[in-house]
Amino acid sequence: MNIPGAVAMPINQKTPLTIVTGFLGSGKTTLLGNILQAPRFAGTSVIINEYGEAGLDHRLIRRVEERTTLLAGGCVCCNRREDLINELKELLDAYQRGEHPLDRVILETTGLADPAPILFSVLTHPLLVHHFYIDMVVACLDAVNGELHLKQSPEAVKQIVCADLVIITKTDIGDHDTVTRLRRRIQEINPAAAVETSAQGRVGADIFEPAQRPAGQRSGRRLEQLRTAGLDQDGHTTAISSISIQFDQPLDWLAFGIWLSMLLHQHGENMFRVKGLVDVGEDGPIVLNGVQHIIHPPQHLPDWREYEEHNSQIVFIMREISPHQVLDSLRAFQHLIGAHPEIREINLNPLGRA
Amino acid sequence: MCVLCGELVMNVHWTDQPIHDKEYRPTAVVGESQRDRIRNRLCRADFVNNIVAFYGLSFRDWQGSKYVLSDRKGQQKIINDLGDLWPAAQQMSGRRIDPLDPALLSYLSAPECCRHEHTGSRCHAD
Repeated sequence: MNIPGAVAMPINQKTPLTIVTGFLGSGKTTLLGNILQAPRFAGTSVIINEYGEAGLDHRLIRRVEERTTLLAGGCVCCNRREDLINELKELLDAYQRGEHPLDRVILETTGLADPAPILFSVLTHPLLVHHFYIDMVVACLDAVNGELHLKQSPEAVKQIVCADLVIITKTDIGDHDTVTRLRRRIQEINPAAAVETSAQGRVGADIFEPAQRPAGQRSGRRLEQLRTAGLDQDGHTTAISSISIQFDQPLDWLAFGIWLSMLLHQHGENMFRVKGLVDVGEDGPIVLNGVQHIIHPPQHLPDWREYEEHNSQIVFIMREISPHQVLDSLRAFQHLIGAHPEIREINLNPLGRA
Repeated sequence: MCVLCGELVMNVHWTDQPIHDKEYRPTAVVGESQRDRIRNRLCRADFVNNIVAFYGLSFRDWQGSKYVLSDRKGQQKIINDLGDLWPAAQQMSGRRIDPLDPALLSYLSAPECCRHEHTGSRCHAD
């Protein structure tokens, strides 16, 4: 239906919020310091959760103490970060008073922060959800100490799992083999993430630009077949596993929503990540992106890109749930969902020592 | 806010978020997609009904604005969205609602459970 006077507008007029996370000392602030010098970030506000040594003095920067409100009956991911809510509200107020532009907000978390409550806070807040959207989660991983962090800190693993883009930093001082190993490790933990490298905190300033990164927002990168045989199962088991499931036919979005909401109701805490493109039999796919109980508002893309196969492919990253259980469940629901699931790839023990 | 009961609905569940098409428009026309909306609600209620039947519950749309979950003893509960549904179903049935539960899966795989497949009247929004 055509409406007189209606103007085509971009898919939303909300302000993008980019979350930059990464373990302690992984070079988040250095990276931001470099990126923010680009003129295109002139209208960007930065919220920093901790004091770092590297200064970002030429920006509108807000430093906030972490303050979390525990919601009754919620799991860890469903905490509300009051500090961030207040900061975002203040930024919004100042913008609406015309005090500064608000093209983008970049939020740098503490090294130990779990990104899930941040997503939850923004996506469930009745005011903020109408003014901000989570553009992407960027995780920094140190080329020198990254392997150690992943091995010893569940926080670091969680950050990688939640990320849409992982940047391996300090490649100038880390050796080439380690970087290659890390890259493989990251893709095993989170097959849906794009991986970039950066030396001395330098990356192209365009990595935050949606147009420049087909792999980021769309997760449209066709997953390469990962070598599961190369994983060393030497007893260092973590319960994290990931599975990529492909469907032979278009899914029934209504039925799939029922199944997924049911799964998240019971296992939301252990479903670290759900991400993929869902073919619903229309011109373009629906982008599905979720972290634990939180599902981003699904977005319907206008068309398929040339390099994308026209089928649904969804990555699940989970803890203490066997990928086969998920597959069995999808098979039992296939009459409702309308498509038969197949395993595209499976990683039972992505943290096994190499 | 729900105009019928005055309940303040603060969050829209992700399954109820509008899926924008490429002609995303700044204005909504009253009643424009009512037909789709109602069809989707009825289909959803039908799907859910198939699943919760395993727990002895039934689920139906009420006036295109709420859902009603009921058991065989006459208990009823008003449900806003799928986010509300599963905890309520768990409480009402006293059973753990788990899509990975083998008993539920074998129930769903049995041919007599899924009316859709039998009648061939698959609930598609298109």
